[in-house]
Formats: sequence, C-alpha cells, structure tokens
Amino acid sequence: MKPGLKLLVAGAALAFFVALPQLITVKYYLHLSVLALVWVIAAQGQNLIQGYTGYVSIVQAGFMGIGAYSTALMGLHFDLPVWLTILLAPCVTAIFALATGYPSLRVKGHYFAIVTLAFNMVIFIVLMNFHQLTQGEAGITGIPKPGSRDGWINFRDREVYYYFVLIVAVAMTALAWLIVRSRVGQTLMSIRQNEDLVGAIGIAAWKYKLFAFVVSAMFAGLAGALYAHYQSFINPEIFGVAQSLDAILAVIVGGSGTIAGPVIGAFVVVFLPEYLRFADSFRLILYGLLLVLATIFMPRGIVGTLAVVWSKLERRG
Amino acid sequence: MIEILQQIVNGVAIGGVYVLIALGLTTVFGILGIAHFAHGSVSMFGGYLTFFLVSGMGFPLLLAILVALLTGLVIGMAIEFLAYRPVRNANHINAFIVALGLTMMVEGLNLEFFGHEQVVIPTDLGRVFNIGGVTLPELRLYVILAAALLILAMTIFVEKTKTGQAIRAVAENRDAAILMGVNVNTIPLVVFAISTALGVCAGVMVGSLFAIAPGIGEGLVVKGFAVLILGGLGSIPGAVVGGLVLGITEALAAGFISSAYKDVIAFVVMITVLLVRPQGLMGKA
Amino acid sequence: MNTMLTKWTAGAAAALVLTGGAVFAADKTLDIGVSDALTGGAAVYGLPQANAVKMAAAEINAAGGIAVGGDTYMLNVIAYDDKANPTEASNAVRKLIDRDGVKFILGFCCSGATGAVASFIENEDAVMLVGNAAERSITTREIPNLVRTRPPADYTGAAAGTFVADKGHKRVAVLGALDVGFYASYVDAFEVELNKAGGEIISREAFSLKDRDMSPQLTKIREQQPDAILVVGYVEPAAFVYRQAVELGIDVPRYGFTSGSEEQFLRVASSEQMEGVWDLRPTELTLLSASDNGIAYHKNYSDTYGIAPSPSSPYAYDQTYALKDAIEAAGTVDDTQAVAAALRELAVPDEVVMQYLPVDGTMFDVNGQAYTSNGAFQWQSGNWVFVQDLPSDAAAYSAFLSTID
Repeated sequence: MKPGLKLLVAGAALAFFVALPQLITVKYYLHLSVLALVWVIAAQGQNLIQGYTGYVSIVQAGFMGIGAYSTALMGLHFDLPVWLTILLAPCVTAIFALATGYPSLRVKGHYFAIVTLAFNMVIFIVLMNFHQLTQGEAGITGIPKPGSRDGWINFRDREVYYYFVLIVAVAMTALAWLIVRSRVGQTLMSIRQNEDLVGAIGIAAWKYKLFAFVVSAMFAGLAGALYAHYQSFINPEIFGVAQSLDAILAVIVGGSGTIAGPVIGAFVVVFLPEYLRFADSFRLILYGLLLVLATIFMPRGIVGTLAVVWSKLERRG
Repeated sequence: MIEILQQIVNGVAIGGVYVLIALGLTTVFGILGIAHFAHGSVSMFGGYLTFFLVSGMGFPLLLAILVALLTGLVIGMAIEFLAYRPVRNANHINAFIVALGLTMMVEGLNLEFFGHEQVVIPTDLGRVFNIGGVTLPELRLYVILAAALLILAMTIFVEKTKTGQAIRAVAENRDAAILMGVNVNTIPLVVFAISTALGVCAGVMVGSLFAIAPGIGEGLVVKGFAVLILGGLGSIPGAVVGGLVLGITEALAAGFISSAYKDVIAFVVMITVLLVRPQGLMGKA
Repeated sequence: MNTMLTKWTAGAAAALVLTGGAVFAADKTLDIGVSDALTGGAAVYGLPQANAVKMAAAEINAAGGIAVGGDTYMLNVIAYDDKANPTEASNAVRKLIDRDGVKFILGFCCSGATGAVASFIENEDAVMLVGNAAERSITTREIPNLVRTRPPADYTGAAAGTFVADKGHKRVAVLGALDVGFYASYVDAFEVELNKAGGEIISREAFSLKDRDMSPQLTKIREQQPDAILVVGYVEPAAFVYRQAVELGIDVPRYGFTSGSEEQFLRVASSEQMEGVWDLRPTELTLLSASDNGIAYHKNYSDTYGIAPSPSSPYAYDQTYALKDAIEAAGTVDDTQAVAAALRELAVPDEVVMQYLPVDGTMFDVNGQAYTSNGAFQWQSGNWVFVQDLPSDAAAYSAFLSTID
C-alpha cells in the first residue's frame, strides 16, 4: 500500500472513531467502545514487545493492574489530582517492569513467556492478599473521574470520557508508530529476525529488549489507569492471566507487527464475545473454535490478510 | 522433625501430579516445540470421563480408567492432526494461540458435559497409615506409587523402544532424524497420544485425590510449565525432579513461611533457578 | 449420579415450568434482569441464584403476576453471565439498563462483581437487589437504590465467636479463604468476641479457591495443638479441609462458615469424616431447619432443575418477592426511586424462605441491609442439623453499619 493511501485510511479511521458516538444508538455499545479504546492502548504496548521484538510477554494485564492500583492509591492516600496520578501511573509501572524485565529478558522464547506469566500470577496473588494496601478481592471503589463535578468538561458523561480515551489512544498509537519507525524500532525488528546477528555486530540487544519491555509496560500502566478512572472500581480479578492472554489475542488477531493490527484486534477482543452471546453456554467453545480456525487460516491476522488481498488486487489492476 | 517429614510427604503427592502433567508437556515441547497450554483441560476431561463412567454408568474404576486412557490417546492424536499440524511451519506464537483456543474449547466442553459443580471420582480407599507420627492416607500412597510406575514406564519407553529412540532422535536433531529415515509425520501423533494419556492419568489422580472443577486444569498447566522451567524444557528427568521440587517447595512454604503466598514463593524459586541456571536443574547447558 | 442425563432432563423441566407461567400472560410484561456468575468457579453460587429468580418469577406469573394500578405485569427474566468478574458484571448491568431497558436487577452472588456494579448504580435509573455477596462495604454507603438480602459476614462472625468462646475453647486455629474480604471480616469479628472471653486465634492459614490440598496448612496447625479449628471459605475447598483434617489425625472440634449443602460435602468427604462439624452461619436453607416455605422451595427447585438448591440460593428467590411487594406498594414499574423507597419501607413478604429479623419493622434497614437470624448447625449422621440460634442483634448491628462509611 502506498504511503499516501495509508494516510488516507488512517484519516478515515480517525473520522470514524470521532463520529462513532453519534452513530451509536444504544449507549451500551459506547461503553464497550470506551473499553475497547483502553485495550487499544494496552495492545499497542503488547505489540511493541510481541509483534516487533518477537518476545511474547504474558503480563500485560498485570501491568495494567499496577497502573490502575497506583493511580487509585496515590489519589486515595496522597490526595494528588487525578491528572497527575494518571501520568504517574505509567512511571510506577515502568519501575516494576525494569525490575522484572531485567532478569526475565536473560532468557528467550518460551522461557520468557512462562516467566512473565509467573510474574502476572505473582502480581495477582499480591493484589489479592496484600489487604492493607489493595483491599484484596473486595477491590477499591469510588475512584474519582478527572476534573471536578462542575468543571467545564464533565468526565462523568460517557461520551466525554470516550473522546478523552480516544485522544490518548490516538496519541499512544502515534507514539508506537514513531518508535517503530525510529532507529530503535529498526533494531527491535532486527532482534525479532535474528537476535544473534544483532549481538554479533556489536549492538547490546538486551538494552533494546528492556526498552521495548518497559515501554510496553508503560502503555499497559496508562491503559490500566484510564480503566480505573472510567469504571471507578478495580479489583484483582480483571488483571489476571486470562486478560493478559486477551492482549496477546488482540495483537495476533489484528495483525502482529503492524500499527493498525492492535486497534482492530482490541475491538475484536472486546466486541466478539458480545456477539457470541447468542450461542449461550456454547459461547466459550465457539470462541475457542474461531480462534483456532483464524490462526490456521489467517495466521497474519486481519491486517496481514487484508494486505495480502490488497496487494493481489493491485497486481491484477 | 516429624512436621518437616510430614510436609515432605504432603508435597510428594501433589508433586507426583505435577510430574505427570509436566511429563506430557515436556515431551510435546521437546519434540515439537509447542507450548501445549490445553494440556491441563484435556487432562481434566480424562478425569471427568472417568468420573462419568464410574458414577454415571457404573463401570468398575480400573475399566473406566482404561476407557478414559484410550479416549485420551485418540483425542491427543486428533488434537495434533487437526489443530497443531496446520500451523506446524508457522511462527511458534501461532501454535500458542491455537493452544489457547483449544483450552477454551475443551473447558467449554467440560462445562457443557459435566457441569460446574466439582466432581470427585469415588474410590473406597479410606484407610490412613501412620508411620512414626507421619500420616499417609492410602489413596495418596497409591497415587504416589502409580506416578512412580508411570514415570518408570515412560523412561523405559523412551530409552529402550524403537519408537522411543526415534522420538529422542527428533528431539535431538530434527533434520538429522529425517535423514535417518524417521517418519516425522507419525512421531508427533505418537507423542501427543502418549502425552495425553499421561495427562488423563494425572486427571484421574487429581479427580480421586482432590477434585475436578472448572479452572483446575488451567491452574495445573501453569504449574506444569513452572516445572518445565525448573527442570529444563524438554527434559524427562527434569520434569520428574522439577515436579517434586515444586510440590515439596509449596508444602514447605505453606507450612513454614506463609500459606497465602505459597505460590509466590514457588514462583520465586522458579525464577531464581532460572537466573542461576537458565537451562533448568536437569537441562543441558 | 448421572450428570449428563440430569442436566438435560433438568433443562427440559425448567423450560416447561418457565413457559408454563407464560401461557397465562396477560396484557403487559415487565423485564427484570439478573447479573450473576452462570459459568466459572463461582457458578456454584451464581447459577442457583439465577435459577431461583426464574423460579420465583414463574410462580409469581402463575399466581397472576404483579398488580400495578389497573394493570397486571408478567415477569420476564433476562439473565446475563458475569462470571463473578467485575468488568463482565459492569458490562452485563450496562447492557441490561442501556440496551434491554431493564430497571430492576437481581442476582449478584459474589462480592467483587457486586462491588463494581454498586460503585455506579447510584447514578442509574435502576434498582439493584444483591443476594449472596457478603462483603460489608456494599451496604455501608447507603446507596438509596440498592438493597441486600444476605447479612454481611462480620454480623455472623461475631455471633460465631461468642458461640465458640462459650464452648470453652481458648486456642483456635483458623484456616480459610482469607484473601476474600468477607471471609477475613468474619474472622476479625470472630476474633474480637473470642478475645473478650480470654481466647485467642493462634494462627491464620490461607487457601485459595482452586486449592484442594490443604495438608500443608493442616500439618502446621496440627503442630500447634489448637483447642479447635475454624474453617471459613467456599464449600468446595472447605470440604477438603474437613476430610484431610481427619486424615491427618486432627481430632479437635471443627467449626466452619461455609454454607454448603449435604450433597456438596458428601462428594468430597464421607459422612463419618464430617461427623460433628459445626457450621456457624445465617440460618439459610437446610432441609431439617427449613420452614414450610423452605421445604416447598426445596421441593420445587429440585423438581424444576433436577438438583438440590444451594443453601444460599433463596437470597435471590427472596429478592424477587421483595421486589414484587415493593413494586405493588409503590404502584409503579417506571419510577425506580419510588420502588427503591418502597423497598426500604417493606415488611418481610410472606413468601420468603430465609428467616429475616426485621429492623424497626422493615425487611431492609436504612442502609438497605436485611438481616437473617444466625444459627449453629451440626453435621449429624449425614445431615446438617439445626442445633440452636446464635445470639444476633440485628438492630445493634444495623446501627453499627450506619456508622461506617
């Protein structure tokens, strides 16, 4: 696809997202769209480490949890303004990611995946059991929205919050795009292609991997913070391994190693289970089956498959 | 002293279950490079099936286990052929996603067929042995013995039989094995059949000693992967050592440090091992 | 037991009963929603609650529906699975309100998911009726459009502490699902009463929902030689505590807070292993303690669904009748504020299964909280036998609840 055309598609997508609240008649779908946008941010982060660097991390939801709890707890205990805690949340997450990424990135492939999965379980168990700090399973309620109740922008309004998250999601997608295009991004992709080769030409691959891991965690931390202030409630349940798997799915289904992939994937992951409700108790089975079939027949995700179709059309035309 | 011994005995039983789960995972991983995440749910299906045959159809326990084992063999082959073979040459992550999809399907099917209430496979083994203050329920003893027997059988199979040698050859060096005339299309089928049968045995043990319920299989498979990391991916002795170490660590951690954080402690041990010895306790450097 | 067969026949029977009610459908239909765990680990609590609401709705419809002004409304239940997950529960309730236009939402077995919905329900044009979720903070904020049928866990824990202290036990070892807030608060309230009588809790060991091997924790407890043990947690793991305690040779009295049915325990432990175990809990449904309503409920539920009802499922059944009476008292199905207010003024309906202790004559206090009596049940030859009431002061607890925020 030519760059000009890509820009056109991106512009059209943006226009669509801006118009979306006006197109939605049932407010429930606006609610799901806000959640999907939050997932776009988390999935863009996941894509940096999984799609571009080639390291499958299974701790994205755990990092969302750290972001969500840090913004909520900082607001609760230090009385900091919501804006500030939302900005600080990714930084706190980054500290945890540095501490966990440094040891776990010493191993590769499946080892890395399983170690990060263990980290997610540790985060979950600590959130459940460290009552004094996290209030355990009961969770934290009444997390405030940004802005005051009578400010000129009312964030309690779901449409307003939608645009707020949309702006952040667009900014983070743009940031991911900038990173990928930069020299750092090129190095990450060379690591994915052949890590030994990267090391052989004298580049300290671990620094780049750690960078990708920490940045990916910061995306998750920010997503978690936005989630916390949107729902006003968090508990450990939503930051477990199952949700980390959703982040991986979003990247794979959308198209791993593409910028548009996580956007599409996030919406699929949030909306698809909704549309499978007709299947009632067979929902889980059907969802699993779709996943298996999609992986077998569309291994490059939606974006990858569309790209193949497009290039075929171009050649023909 | 008795307390420590008792905790070790406690840990060996659950460790034996971990070993069986890990053995299935490690053979699949060592030979095919697949992180077979659905293994836990498939294993639990075996346990559920045994329960159904015993409680619903009135089968004697051993016959029920046999039927479940044979079903496991078939299911294992079907999973390899239908789900994993098509993505054999794609990126590893694709096989992992297939594994996730399979997990959801099998969990969903288990729920659909067997309901949401936990089930316990009935046995009439109620005696408890007391050896110098250390108590050991009869059922636990048999589970430990059965696990040991299966480990032995597995080792003999891999070391002594022709198929076993072919499996090892593929694990060592796939290309060389192909050159030497090993059929790389049947080996995966055999591996999955055996791995699933081992899983079914683990399912039966969990189902009779503890219980089978939604989510239990997923929890076990995570422990199984932890065992693989501990022992070394793809290593059979590693799975045995790793499983026992994990089981006993959990019991000691719960008994002497903190029961709330016993899993955390187990994972910390795993991560520490990984840092000191990235190839695992029994893995080759 | 033939699970597959019973499942199909139960489904067919349920369909019969549910459609049977609709045959008499008069002019109008009132949709009521259920958000509950229909799948996953918490379905043990959630599914029976959803079933109970459907059963109550079918009964109400069969008896002529809900009379509002000149109209008669037949109830139609829309149940969504929230998997006891907070995000899913928020989604389920959002969908009920935004898409299905439902104003009355029942169910809610589990505290995490319930807390998530409770955090925003005040801003919605809806009434929320909570069932089995026992976390105290759900009713401490005096949310005007929320009521709960099950009393908070610490209300029961205090009564249990007094009971165990009266038995003369000084050193009590606790083993429980202590990562779950309401179980921990049960133990805290228990400890306060135990301390008053000069006793103490000598250890607090934890297990998680998926743990089935409790022998490490029990070995530690055995070493400490307690006078008694207290087991608080979900039925499924708790049953293993009782069995493995016997296997490890622990022969001190066992007290618990688990609310499991006979069937649930007998899957895991033999009746001999359970013999003498106490369950100190709200006087929920057990066959031998049940009132006439309870016996009828047990029979109808078993006939309809082919399986015995869980002891806590009537919390949801009772919600449905409370809602019916409140709607009739308010005389409207549209004005949720009026219905919510009517709930706060409601006398205990005749049809309820649980034995509620009214505060100032109403079923729900100013916090929207209902109180049942607490009871001491003991396992005797295969059954939970009601032995005595536990002294419980609903009015005093209600006043205490109002002081927390």
